[in-house]
Amino acid sequence: MGRGDPRKRAPRRGADLRLLRRLWPFVRPQGGLLLASLALLLGTSAAALATTWVLKLAIERHFETDTGAGLGVLLAWFCVLALLEVVGRALGTWTVDVAGQNALLRLRSTLFRHLQALSSAFHDRTPTGRLVGRVTTDIEALQEMFSSGVVTILADLIFLCATVVLLFSLQWKLTLAVLVVVPLLVGLTLWMRVRVRAAYAKMIDSRSRLNAFLHEHIVGMAVVQMFTRERRARTGFDGISGDMRDAQLRSVWWESALSASTEKLSHLTIALILAYGGALLLDAPAATGLTLGALFAFIDYMRKFFVPLNDLSLKVTVLQSAMTAAERIFDLLDRDDFLPEPASPIVPPRTRGAIAFDGVTFGYDPAEPVLRGVSFQVACGERVAIVGATGGGKTTLLKLLTRLYDVQEGSITLDGVDVRELPLSELRSRIGIVPQDVFLFGGDVLHNVRLGHPEISEAEARAAADRLHLDEVVKRFPLGYAEPVRERGANLSSGERQLIAFARVLAVAPAVLALDEATSQVDSQSEHLLQTALHELTSGRTSLIIAHRLSTVRDVDRILVIERGRLIEEGTHEELLREGGAYARLHELQFDENG
Amino acid sequence: MRRELPFLLPFLRRHLAAYVTGSVCVVASIFLKLRIPVFLKDAFDALDRGGPTAREGLFAAVGWIVATSLAVALVRTWSRLLILGTSRRVAHDLRTELFEHLTRLAPSFFVRNPAGQIMSRFLNDMQNVQGLVGPVILYLTEVLTLYAIAVPMMATIEPTLTLLALAPFPFFLYASRRMAVRIQEGSRAAQNCLGEISARVDESLEGQAVLKTLVLEEAACGRFDAHCERYRALNLAVTRKRALLIGLMAGLASLSTLIVVVGAAGRVVPADQPGFTLGSMFSLLFYLGMLTSPTRTLGFVISSLKRGSAALGRLREIVDSEVSLPDPPSGPPWPRVGAGALELRGLTVRHDPLSEQPHLSGSRPQTCGDDARADGGRVVLDGVSVSVPAGSTLGIVGHTGSGKTTLLRAVAGLQEVERGQVFIDGIDVCDLRPADLRAAVGYVSQDAFLFSLSLAENLAYGRPEATPQELAAAAAASRLEADLAQFPDGLESIVGERGVNLSGGQRQRAALARALVVDAPILILDDTLSAVDSHTAEEILVGLAPYCEGRTTLLVAHRLATLRHAERIVVLDEGRVAESGTHEELLAAGGLYAALWERQSRRETEGGQR
Repeated sequence: MGRGDPRKRAPRRGADLRLLRRLWPFVRPQGGLLLASLALLLGTSAAALATTWVLKLAIERHFETDTGAGLGVLLAWFCVLALLEVVGRALGTWTVDVAGQNALLRLRSTLFRHLQALSSAFHDRTPTGRLVGRVTTDIEALQEMFSSGVVTILADLIFLCATVVLLFSLQWKLTLAVLVVVPLLVGLTLWMRVRVRAAYAKMIDSRSRLNAFLHEHIVGMAVVQMFTRERRARTGFDGISGDMRDAQLRSVWWESALSASTEKLSHLTIALILAYGGALLLDAPAATGLTLGALFAFIDYMRKFFVPLNDLSLKVTVLQSAMTAAERIFDLLDRDDFLPEPASPIVPPRTRGAIAFDGVTFGYDPAEPVLRGVSFQVACGERVAIVGATGGGKTTLLKLLTRLYDVQEGSITLDGVDVRELPLSELRSRIGIVPQDVFLFGGDVLHNVRLGHPEISEAEARAAADRLHLDEVVKRFPLGYAEPVRERGANLSSGERQLIAFARVLAVAPAVLALDEATSQVDSQSEHLLQTALHELTSGRTSLIIAHRLSTVRDVDRILVIERGRLIEEGTHEELLREGGAYARLHELQFDENG
Repeated sequence: MRRELPFLLPFLRRHLAAYVTGSVCVVASIFLKLRIPVFLKDAFDALDRGGPTAREGLFAAVGWIVATSLAVALVRTWSRLLILGTSRRVAHDLRTELFEHLTRLAPSFFVRNPAGQIMSRFLNDMQNVQGLVGPVILYLTEVLTLYAIAVPMMATIEPTLTLLALAPFPFFLYASRRMAVRIQEGSRAAQNCLGEISARVDESLEGQAVLKTLVLEEAACGRFDAHCERYRALNLAVTRKRALLIGLMAGLASLSTLIVVVGAAGRVVPADQPGFTLGSMFSLLFYLGMLTSPTRTLGFVISSLKRGSAALGRLREIVDSEVSLPDPPSGPPWPRVGAGALELRGLTVRHDPLSEQPHLSGSRPQTCGDDARADGGRVVLDGVSVSVPAGSTLGIVGHTGSGKTTLLRAVAGLQEVERGQVFIDGIDVCDLRPADLRAAVGYVSQDAFLFSLSLAENLAYGRPEATPQELAAAAAASRLEADLAQFPDGLESIVGERGVNLSGGQRQRAALARALVVDAPILILDDTLSAVDSHTAEEILVGLAPYCEGRTTLLVAHRLATLRHAERIVVLDEGRVAESGTHEELLAAGGLYAALWERQSRRETEGGQR
């Protein structure tokens, strides 16, 4: 409310309708439940109104003037209605929430699938945190809208209208008087609520600053201490914590005022009813149709009137933030940065694994090509290493081969078929890739070897791992293959992570291997293990290796040298050294690094 | 709670006046509020009675209602301001106290306890404690005062009926209490599950290239859907209980009303007679209305009380963690470091087995890499003796896990050591104030941690008074200045998410520059340039040579060539000094170092070079 962007406010009404239409496919399957809950909530409201009416009748007939019989019947009615109210309220709340949970389960799943399908180019541009927020925070906001949203608001509005009609039928003058004064008081509370929200927003802001400061200083405490900055850090923290306290105090002030004023509001309304209604009653009870029971009912109705009225302003803000969330969600669902699947896909019967790059030009920003007219061929079963300075475009070659991006000029073929003609999943399942930054998922070691391939049996996965001597590493883990891997493999060394990634590829046994060697330093034991594993992995398999290690380079059939996006040299290790060109220079530098 | 109270008491005592005044206000507001049904009775009685005095009686009663309700609003606001406001002040005091203690704890504490755990103490536990010292106190005082005043007042109107009408309350209180516990437990479970979902999404986005190339999208979606299903189930379990609680409380209101009406039937006397009038019945009903909603909240208040005291216990754990690198008791004054001559005499450091190390409850000890996976106590350094004259350079070589970093940290005052093992300028480091020791050391660690401040502030982190010229000189020496052009505001660019993202090599060079600015007699470089390309690394080391002149320098490196010019090189193996000497001596000795050098050189000759 208070912090909404005024420029965005104007076209909002139309946008809201459009958003509701977009939401409809997710809501419609829950239509039955929603209708049921609306009916339940309306029934509950009717019961709540009727109980007070029964009480009024009981008071008029049996307490003001004793007419004797019939009280039992009225009280029986009271019991039935009260029971209906209890059951109706519980069931109504429940069904609304079930409907919401069901609808959002589908929406969340759809959104996640959409994110998976979006192209790498999209993901390169978009910060992860923002997308995570769409799937979690924004969906939660929509959830709120369901549980305290449209249906309940509708039910509340109907209830409020029904109450007003009932009150008018009871005594129209008194109702009119109450309805003139009440809005003023309600307006005051609404205004306070806006202030509460504004203060709260400030508080949230200062809290996230506190969190950021705290996290950084806990992680970097050794640095703080090393540079003896403890006192300054404390002063900094005191300041930020004090800011948060002050923001909290402001919101406490408004909250306190609001909670007291809500109570005051209901007391003042009672006073008004008593004063004006009582005067009317004393003047001419017969003409006004007022009784003590009616006054009591009036007070009781107004009490029930205030509950949804107070909630309503809260619910409207919930609705507003839900609409903002829905807007963001559908904006994301509208993104269609997909790589096109081929219109008439070609599926060659068996991958033999011949690769050809033909005049490939590509840039993440088309204005700045990373690769310029690169052409080369890799025969079946050939092992080819790619070397060159960082930033020369080596990794990009692999990304194009697996079609994370499409070439801008030229073509890439696998066994003579353009990669754009192959179905994406077909292409990618034929190429085993080991990225430079081995990415492990939460789960155990074996899970990471099998990763999403249920058709690979545990024995097969273990066999693949054993062939690469992963078992030698794994036996050092307390739980062996069942050792849990923390998010992103944080509890494993880089050598261990690589071996797992190798095993992952070997288990799938693709005809083509595309490998981006890690640059990070590993100790000589791991180095030896990795080289043996690499040899095993590449034997008899078309391999394209971005190489950083001398031993790897010496082991391959052919070496390609890429510099500034161009293929500048090609040949065996000995040939290239003899030529004394770029490779020889690179090699000298490598020697320095290792020697 | 009884154990935790002494810890909390000093914080509460500081704000005792506010709490006492606040509680008085609570009692006053409740007392005033409970007068309203009395006036209501008067009003109804006046109307019931009729006659010439009726109007007067009615308006008097209404006037009282208005006056009282205004007074209540005022006193009530005041009570909330005092008690809830004070709870925020107490939380602030606690936070700063806790943070101060954290800054005193040795780095080993932060290795044992993951950052997430400590953060959770500051966020979740602090939130619960704040609830304990604010809302819980407020509501408890409110509810107890309400019962204490309302029940006798109701009893004076009609004791039996009051007793009957209140009879269902204990049952409902019990039910609401149980429900509140379940709802809160359920919400927490759902919240954790949402955290899990968020982690899944994050993981799938960070690893999306992997998911795509390994064709794992479908599997990832399946895993994600399973989590969402579970989240839905958890949420619905909470809703079910919440719906039940709402229904129950509506039932309580109706039930007590019914009891009063049934009990009053046939007993009401006209208003002009003493006894149970219609007004009496109305005021009884009104009192009951005031009692039902606090009865519902009472359940939540009690579980907040429990959670608050548990959270308090967890906060106390942090304050109770021992400061393992305290200022030595011998001072002040404490001795100062001079030229920086270093001597290690049989330095032995043993890491306790993880299970026996004191760590915060509920935090699993971190298992990072091979270092920490060692079962049982592990000797990291075993009788290391070496002496480094002031102004000379010591090279350190060894495999991962051979104890290099621990040795450097012991010298830098970041690692607990026993007396009689590490001496600087002949002074036992245990007699030095850790702060003084650290100030005498420029330390560049492997992970180049920078703060989200401007680059200039980061460089001047150890010496805020450093001049721009000094910063520029340090940036030049660490070859950072060439990169500055890439950043929008040069040295003034903010590091981190809100500003520029530095590459690993840039971070390392910035961390190096930061240590150079300190201008300390001892310089420690722990494999500092691993992410910097070899050419630049060589340039930096050459550029550092004049800076190292006259400084005691400890240098860890993987590339032996880097260490060639060190006055002395030690080779660490499994925490022991395996060899020590100059480059030439070590080569001549034909041991580990010679073998390592041989291996690195063989690659050279096999490669056909030189």
